[in-house]
Amino acid sequence: MKNQLNIRHFFLVLLSVFCISSNFAQKTKKSKVRLKAQYVKIMNGEIYFDIKASSKVKKKNVDVANIEIAVYNEFDDEKVKIGKTVTNMKGESRFVIKNRNSIKADSTNIYEISFSFKGNDTYKKAKKSISFKDASIEAKLITKDSINYITATLLDKSTGNPISDESLDVQVKRLFKPLKIGEEFNNTDENGTILVLIEEGIPGVDGNLTFEVVLNDNDDFGTVKAIVKAPIGVPIVDESTYDQRTMWSPRNKTPLFLLIFPNILIVGIWGLIIYLIANLFKITKS
Amino acid sequence: MKNYDKLISDLVPKKFGKLGVIWTSSLLVIIIIGIVAYIDQLIKGQVVTNMRDYALWGIYISNFVFFVATSFVGSVTVAILRLTHNEWRTPIVRIAEIITLAAIVMAGITIMIDMARPDRLLNLFIHARLQSPITWDVIIIPTSIAISFLLLYFPLIPDLAILKDHFKDESPFLSKWYGKLSLNWTGSKAQKAIQTKSIQIIALMIIPISLILQTVDAWLFSTTYRIGWDSTNMGAYFISGAFVAGIGALITVIYVVRRVYKLENYITEFHFDKLGKLLVLACLTYLYFNINEYLIPVFTAKKGELEHLDVLFTGHYAFLFWFVIIGGLIIPSIVLLFKKGRKPLPMFIIGLVVVIASWWKRYLIVTPTLLHPFMPIQGVPESWHHYFPSIHEWLITLATLAMALLIITMLVRYLPVIPIQKTADEQELLKNVKNTKS
Repeated sequence: MKNQLNIRHFFLVLLSVFCISSNFAQKTKKSKVRLKAQYVKIMNGEIYFDIKASSKVKKKNVDVANIEIAVYNEFDDEKVKIGKTVTNMKGESRFVIKNRNSIKADSTNIYEISFSFKGNDTYKKAKKSISFKDASIEAKLITKDSINYITATLLDKSTGNPISDESLDVQVKRLFKPLKIGEEFNNTDENGTILVLIEEGIPGVDGNLTFEVVLNDNDDFGTVKAIVKAPIGVPIVDESTYDQRTMWSPRNKTPLFLLIFPNILIVGIWGLIIYLIANLFKITKS
Repeated sequence: MKNYDKLISDLVPKKFGKLGVIWTSSLLVIIIIGIVAYIDQLIKGQVVTNMRDYALWGIYISNFVFFVATSFVGSVTVAILRLTHNEWRTPIVRIAEIITLAAIVMAGITIMIDMARPDRLLNLFIHARLQSPITWDVIIIPTSIAISFLLLYFPLIPDLAILKDHFKDESPFLSKWYGKLSLNWTGSKAQKAIQTKSIQIIALMIIPISLILQTVDAWLFSTTYRIGWDSTNMGAYFISGAFVAGIGALITVIYVVRRVYKLENYITEFHFDKLGKLLVLACLTYLYFNINEYLIPVFTAKKGELEHLDVLFTGHYAFLFWFVIIGGLIIPSIVLLFKKGRKPLPMFIIGLVVVIASWWKRYLIVTPTLLHPFMPIQGVPESWHHYFPSIHEWLITLATLAMALLIITMLVRYLPVIPIQKTADEQELLKNVKNTKS
């Protein structure tokens, strides 16, 4: 009987130690997650939100990977979930809105989108809201006196009014970063319009250039981008030696002279060496 | 006949005395220590060396280049002196051939030591690209080893037959081996014809092969854009440098062998005089190429190259650089211009200095350039900015040098260092000529 009591006490102590330790483990400090979101609209293209999740762990900024972020559209006291997305290893995610009509603006024509992370074992829950109005850029290429220009008009879509005194970036798409053209600031006039000179001699594949007119990370309208393609560049002549036999190509594309001449030398010299070795046998036998 | 017997007893290989045994044992100890260091390098990787991202070639490659250069001596003494009808060469050719073989074999081994993963050696053949100078090197080194072996072996056959007879009673074991290696040599007309023809072919072949070997070695460097290596002078510069290193090594070894084997009657002051003149020619030629290599860039060099030259002329490597130029080229050239300077002992000292300077010269070719990359060295530990070989590198390198000396020592121990048959033939010829004149 006494023994049974002892065993019971022992199990009670064990259980309490387990409970205390698991409770302590649950209370270990979780890190805060910082969410950043940017609204991007491509004219005649897709609309998306670029989301970035980061956290400060041990005084260092780290990317928060593989967390699920829910996306909500809030309007007139309503909150509608429009989808979810998961961050990649860099803590980044792009949430694309396939249909413009899937999000609604409130009565003041402002769109309100919120991004929510419900937390996990490592990170606390986090939320980020952004709001924007719908704007559009109508861009086209014009030619005056054989000189090419890009003209673009920035409009508030909700009212149809031009947006004046906003700076638009005009740039040519390149392999890595875009090449900016025009002035440092191309501010829209009272008609919401800019006119930017395109310098001659910009190279492009087959002479095709892709111009981008960008309202960049605007407080009211987010990022809006219009794309104009025009065959006015200097065609790039492909100087690739990929298919040629060069000194820097792989072994199956060795220059012919390097295949022929050294191989003649190698065969010739080793032929003579073999002949000389054969002579040693001849000496033995003669 | 009496003279012939004396000739044989003078020239047959002899047992080492006390000094010879100490010398060989010392070499063996150095080699064993080097092998232990090499095994440690194999286990731990090249982290035991001081080679890092920038100085990725170090003492191993400079040692390899030195061996390749030294192997040039066979081509110079055997082939060039033969083709230019310098008959005085007979007593020195065998030693030159031995040095050539030892040096080129060790060059091949040294390059494997630098590879860190010798098990991947086969990849150099399997994945060879003929555009790569490394591939050219991989081809030319085995070729040189083969031809250097034949260069030594063919003229040796009649001597091996003589040794077989000589050691018949004294050492039947040795006699048996000499007999096997002499390939049933009887001196018949047919055998002599094959041997003479083969030697002629080798003498002709060894010149282009040696030139290709030295040039490929130079192109390993000059086909890069690196400061100090990007030079059209490199091929000729390396050949003339090899000329110096080879003759220096030959003089040094000849002096020692002559003293140990008491061969003063065969390798005379006349031979040292001739070799001295040959070394002056080599030193002056190499000096000329050095002037081309360093003086012209002083006028034309851009910032990066000027910095490299400053490091050599007045900077970190100045002492070594001037030791190599003054001690290894200018002083030997001046001393050897005087007849007294071409006596055996001064020649030995000069030869030794020339060989040491030649070794450091290769170090100066390899290392300073690697420490002057095009992009600034940054974001790396301070120690990566400099290079000086680690204890492992020194031990392994010393072991390779000892191994080369051991190969020479063993060949000198068991082979006649002066061609017996050829010397006998020439002495006979000399007598006939004298008889005809009188």
